[in-house]
Amino acid sequence: MMNMFKRVEETPSALALTVKNWLAHRGRRFGHLTARANGKGQFVIEALALDRNTGGGLIITAPLTEGELKYPSLTPETPAAHWAERAVGDLFGIQATGHPRWKSLILHSDAWPDDPAPLSSLERLHKEPYPFLEVSGEGVHEIPVGPIHAGIIEPGHFRFSCVGEIISNLDIRLGYQHRGVEKRLAELPWQQMRYLAESAGSDTAAGNALAHATAMETILGIEPPPRAQALRTVALELERLANHVGDLGALSGDIGYSACAALFPPMRGAVLALAQLLTGTRRQRYYIKPGGVARDLDDTRRTALVQGLVDISRRLEELIPLVLENPAVIERMEGTGRLSPTLARDFGIVGPAARASGSHYDAREVFAHGVYPGRAPKVASRTTGDVLARAQIRVDEIHAGLEFLTELLDDLPKGAIFIDCDQEKLPLDAVGVGIVEAWRGELIHWVTTDRTGAISRYSIKDPSFNNWTGLAIAARGNLVADFPLCNKSFNLSYSGNDL
Amino acid sequence: MNNPLLSIIKTGIITQKDLFPDLTDDAIGLPSLTSTPCRSADCMKCVSACPTRAITVDDDLVTLDRGSCLGCNQCVAACPSGTIVADRSTKTAVRTRKELVISNQVKPVTTSAPTKLPFQRSLHVREVATGDNACDLEVIASTNAIFDIARFGIHFVASPRFADALLLTGPVGRAMQEPLRRCYDAMAEPRLVIAAGVSAISGGLHGGGYAEANGVDSILPVSAYIPGDPPHPWSIIHGLMLAMGRLE
Repeated sequence: MMNMFKRVEETPSALALTVKNWLAHRGRRFGHLTARANGKGQFVIEALALDRNTGGGLIITAPLTEGELKYPSLTPETPAAHWAERAVGDLFGIQATGHPRWKSLILHSDAWPDDPAPLSSLERLHKEPYPFLEVSGEGVHEIPVGPIHAGIIEPGHFRFSCVGEIISNLDIRLGYQHRGVEKRLAELPWQQMRYLAESAGSDTAAGNALAHATAMETILGIEPPPRAQALRTVALELERLANHVGDLGALSGDIGYSACAALFPPMRGAVLALAQLLTGTRRQRYYIKPGGVARDLDDTRRTALVQGLVDISRRLEELIPLVLENPAVIERMEGTGRLSPTLARDFGIVGPAARASGSHYDAREVFAHGVYPGRAPKVASRTTGDVLARAQIRVDEIHAGLEFLTELLDDLPKGAIFIDCDQEKLPLDAVGVGIVEAWRGELIHWVTTDRTGAISRYSIKDPSFNNWTGLAIAARGNLVADFPLCNKSFNLSYSGNDL
Repeated sequence: MNNPLLSIIKTGIITQKDLFPDLTDDAIGLPSLTSTPCRSADCMKCVSACPTRAITVDDDLVTLDRGSCLGCNQCVAACPSGTIVADRSTKTAVRTRKELVISNQVKPVTTSAPTKLPFQRSLHVREVATGDNACDLEVIASTNAIFDIARFGIHFVASPRFADALLLTGPVGRAMQEPLRRCYDAMAEPRLVIAAGVSAISGGLHGGGYAEANGVDSILPVSAYIPGDPPHPWSIIHGLMLAMGRLE
């Protein structure tokens, strides 16, 4: 099974309206937006619109008139496009006119003072110092935090505008870890792309590798064997399990609940040990690749995996109530960091954070990756949108994941684990979109080839790219002291966003 | 039951007593070289299999730069002569960059521990992440009850002002170079820098691009290198203890 996307062309001036009208139908959502050179000396703006009803969607391409390096912004009608348009501004030097908060997103003007836009070689926009959103009024003060934070955590700058102890606005500035991943991916021989693709966000190696493999297999028109699809799914679900378990410990840590902050990390370790049994590394590297997986699971290791899951399951049954049935924990989490279902929908929030705010969207039910969407665990959904709901969604997904993993391992299809496709050449003018429900949510690898069969654009949309806005909204009206808890309840990736 | 104390008591002691155990047979570690002669020029399978060009073959001299090696073991699978083999040791850290370059002929370079180091008993560490969050997670794992890095006197601190050592992860792209320098400048002397993970050492897959994410070597003086992508928590502990001068 593959995700089928219809490609249509549109003028830049009609793009915003076309996307808006297309999204007006039930079950459709904004996927991503980027730009690329179309090989005829032109740049195109491309929007990816997803249809949950069909498991596919639309790629709308709008060629810019030569010399005209701007297009009317989609954001006023489709707010979910706001970061993608700013990223295109930085990486291509193409302006979205009428964007309500037009400023840099990825490239820092002090780090790249005179360089051209890296993905187009055009003149760069935003050479001025970064303009933080300023809140004015009596008693408003600012708290700058970062880029280097106090914990063992990635760098980013948070600018809080506060009235007393209450956060009235949070401006999040990222981009510190920009490494030029997308450009490098388009330069590599396709057989070697997988190493970099999976470390685009290296804490989501299985998710990124699966999104990459799915996109490349669509382009090559190959279907991996059923056993490979099942084993990939096991890897993806182990990654989700490990991180959700880890998050429960981290959430405990941020409310000063040391006992659970100490009890959960070894459980995460127990899951990583199973991941190592399956893939050879705790971080599931070098396992999922275009065509299949890198190594088979013999029966001894399969049995050990199943037994390991039983042990983990039994232990978690004891540990999880220590957190979520503890009145002191609930008191801290309930009502904290609320994200309303309306704003979550408008800004296209994904993953557990969206499902804690009323969404039922889980890419596993919709898009082809691994054994999905044919078989998928039940989607968890809550409506309160607070820290507690985000914690509960993780617990729901831990339970569902443990059950689903055991089902998968009990019933592994026999046969090959790999189709050798390394000698294949990429077809001309092809596109492949890999959409994976990674542990943080919808992760997209969107690959386009040009008329010579070379990669003309490799675009990655990490789930964090959607969800950072959700955190900024959820933090409003909360105590500054509760921000770490709000932040942890989203647990977003900085490097997956910065690329 | 809802009693965390009971749970802790029931858990017992889970800290690994055996220090720096080898990885299990199921795991893949970094590749290593044996003195078995290489088939050289008519083979070159390892060179073309390596995604980071960490291997060079010159006649029958094979060199492998663990500072660029991801540990994907494609070379081990490709090598027909048994010159490149899997190595499951977690004692992978070294003090100098040149020790990371191993060969099948020359005896590996090792340096002895510097004497009179001020941090032999305890080390306070400031971690700076620059784009490899799996490595950050392994650093966090080194603090859990299984690895328990605190028993070696190693503690992670919130500010460079409190820190004796800076533990760096990620390839340090342009936008992190200035914050990194400022963090280092805020530390009191004497101070150490430890690079964890292949991207911190050489940029790894990210090196050589427009973001100049080529690792920490050209920016700060480094006291210990921990190869791997990401390194195992035991390897991270190994690197820190090596920098303290507690290990030979």
